[in-house]
Amino acid sequence: MKVFRFVSLFTLILALGIGTTSCKKVNDADLQKAAQETLAANPDLAGVVVTVEDQVATLTGVVMDDATKAYAESTVAGMENVKSVVNQLEVVPPAPDFTAVDAAINAALADALKDHKTVTAEVKDGVITLTGEIRERDLPVLMEKLNALNPEQIVNNLTIK
Amino acid sequence: MALVDKYKELVDLARQNNVLVNESGKVLKLEGVVPSASVKDKMWEIYQRIDPQFKSNDVLLNIKTAVSDGGKVKVVTRESRLNIRKGPGTDQPIVGKAERGDIIMLISKANDLWWLVRDNDGEEGYCYAQYLEPVQ
Repeated sequence: MKVFRFVSLFTLILALGIGTTSCKKVNDADLQKAAQETLAANPDLAGVVVTVEDQVATLTGVVMDDATKAYAESTVAGMENVKSVVNQLEVVPPAPDFTAVDAAINAALADALKDHKTVTAEVKDGVITLTGEIRERDLPVLMEKLNALNPEQIVNNLTIK
Repeated sequence: MALVDKYKELVDLARQNNVLVNESGKVLKLEGVVPSASVKDKMWEIYQRIDPQFKSNDVLLNIKTAVSDGGKVKVVTRESRLNIRKGPGTDQPIVGKAERGDIIMLISKANDLWWLVRDNDGEEGYCYAQYLEPVQ
């Protein structure tokens, strides 16, 4: 009798244990999958990774600004069965794109350097770097011309004679 | 020392003339249009005095002198005559030459770097704006 009760009690506890553990696993994994899919629908959120434990969603990864970080959080927080969100997203603004700026400067460089044959210029990320040589009295005219191209910076490595 | 302090004299003159002054990180940028070539020349003179061989790499001075279509400009090449070209580029054929020191007419600005002019012989074409100084 006692053994029977003990076995039943044990079985019950075991069943509850299995039941609880199984339910928890299924819920978290399902939630995580659903959350990740929801975020994947938005290209701005491509860098966001969701992990769910005990129905608490943790967001990690990188987004481009604070607004996107908040949006990711509110999107996941609004999902069914998500109890809360831990937002560990890092905001990393995208690097500025100087492709068009460099192209514009390069297009205007030939004219600017036409009267300065001993000067070489390289353009990268809006910065004009000068090498070669120049006579001191020709330098101000060259600098005026290059400043007119509106670069980010002019780096003067010219040998000045 | 902040760049606005290093170049204080230049910044003061810029602000008097409504020129935009912006210090960001490594470079002090001054950009704008001033009423006469003498103001622009003065700014470059101050800049060169503070940074004699332009080796500090810390200033962007982009100053234009105000001039209207139909206004007068002076040819300010140092030694030679100024080529007048068929189109706005040094790859364009030369259609005339203007003498150094001549005061000629600005017809219109094709862009910031090339201006359409008519010289005193009636030749019309494009000149590199850096060699044209607006006169009052």
